[in-house]
Amino acid sequence: MPMIVGVVAGAAVLALIFIVVIFKLMWRVAEPNEALIISGSKHRTEGLEEGMGFRIVTGRGTLVLPGVQAVRKLSLDLNETELSVDCVTHQGIPLKVRGVVIFKVGDDFVSIANAGRRFLDQQKLMSERVHNVFAGHLRSIVGGLTVEDMIRDREKLTGQTRAACGTEMEKLGLIVDSLQIHEIEDPTGYIKNLAMPHAAAVQRDARIAQAEANRRATEAEQQAAARMSEATRDSEILQAGYQAERDNASAKARQAGPLADAAARQEVVVQETRVAELEAHRREQQLQADVRKPADAKAYEKRTLAEAERDVRISAAQAKAKETELAAAAEATRVTTAAGAEAEATKARGAAAATATRATGEAEAAAQQAKGLAIAESARAKGLAEAEAIKARAAALAENQEAVVAQQLAENWPEIVRAGAGAFGNVEHMVLLNGADGMSDMFAKALTMGGTGLGLARQLLSSMGQDQNGQAGKDGSAVNGFATPSAAPPSQKVPMDGES
Amino acid sequence: MDDASMVGLMGRVTGTIGPGLVGEVIVRVRGGAEHFLAYPASPKDRIESGTVVMVVEYLPPRTVYVSAAYDS
Repeated sequence: MPMIVGVVAGAAVLALIFIVVIFKLMWRVAEPNEALIISGSKHRTEGLEEGMGFRIVTGRGTLVLPGVQAVRKLSLDLNETELSVDCVTHQGIPLKVRGVVIFKVGDDFVSIANAGRRFLDQQKLMSERVHNVFAGHLRSIVGGLTVEDMIRDREKLTGQTRAACGTEMEKLGLIVDSLQIHEIEDPTGYIKNLAMPHAAAVQRDARIAQAEANRRATEAEQQAAARMSEATRDSEILQAGYQAERDNASAKARQAGPLADAAARQEVVVQETRVAELEAHRREQQLQADVRKPADAKAYEKRTLAEAERDVRISAAQAKAKETELAAAAEATRVTTAAGAEAEATKARGAAAATATRATGEAEAAAQQAKGLAIAESARAKGLAEAEAIKARAAALAENQEAVVAQQLAENWPEIVRAGAGAFGNVEHMVLLNGADGMSDMFAKALTMGGTGLGLARQLLSSMGQDQNGQAGKDGSAVNGFATPSAAPPSQKVPMDGES
Repeated sequence: MDDASMVGLMGRVTGTIGPGLVGEVIVRVRGGAEHFLAYPASPKDRIESGTVVMVVEYLPPRTVYVSAAYDS
């Protein structure tokens, strides 16, 4: 019994295992990136019309009868194809275009069916096929574009690509996700030359911008440097000021000690000076009290005594002087009185004498007057006669001056000769040559000299006159013809009795 | 997935649609987004990229005719 149970259990397990194996063989699951294409039996079509003869399963599992149905997988993964195509642009410029086409099998059943029919056994060759298709189409696309369009107008490139390849790829059940042009080789340098003006402009702008930026940067740096210098200057000025203040303070602090010492010393000196002054004052006071006051007192005493003595003497002298004065006054009064009396006496005597003299004088004067009048009368007569004589002589002189002179010379000859001899009187020895002639010559010359020079003659006469003035008397004046003053009447001065 | 499921879907133009051009729209479909070659439903229309469009006709496998969803 247990054996039967074991057998049954074993059989069940085996059956289960068999069923699982069978199920595993029959059940196929489509993965997300693949489509199952099942063919081989009549079945429900899913999404496909009649006549297709196979069904497509995506994304789920399905039962497959092994040996009856064939199951193939079509990958829905992305594929890519490298393109390298020599082509000529619309302008006739040869280019070599390198690009990549990214494509896949379309997700709808129509596309899967188309692709399945075309590529199910050639999935590895799909890229090559697509490359061939795209190489031809790319040539035509590039032929319809210019280089500028290819470079700049991607929209146009993709549009052209869609227009040329879209329907083509639709037929193959493929969709083009992306067509990318990696590289355009340009053997003629067209693109480079095309870019050159822009590159130059860009380079120019870049240099301008860089120069501008450099300028601004330099300006900013210089301004910053100037600001820094300014700040440094201000800071140094401030530091110098603070340093000066510190130095000042430290110097003051250094000098504080000596200053304090000096101040203290000064105070000490002041106090000492004060003490000395007080001492001196005290000493002075002491001296005043000890020496000066007694001296003053003594001096006062002496002075007082001297003054008293002096006053006594002065009083005595004054008294004496007074006495003398009084004596002198008395004497003077006496003398004056005596002199007055004498004067009165003398005056009286003089008056008497004068009166007498006057009387006498008057008498004499009357006599003299009478006599004088007589004399004057005679003198007048005589003068008139002389005047007549002089007038006559002057007339004669005017007529013959020489004769008058000669007459006068002749009249006075002896005196002239005497005077000339007088001139020789002082000569001790005179040697005369030529004998008597010489002598006469000599005199002649002397006389000639005298004759010629009237001045000499007058001199001689005057000298002669001096000699014989006393003896000449009336003769001299008569000779000269001039009335001498001595001839004037001597009685003109009349003594007056009253004058004395 | 039949034809009717495509018609009426909204999509966005990713390549300009116009006469003489083959445009492209991207449409949300089958749980993802797929792009389809697109032509204008009215032959004279020109629909720029970015415009929201509605599929008015679907030609399998991958061609749709669209018209602008909103009158601009």
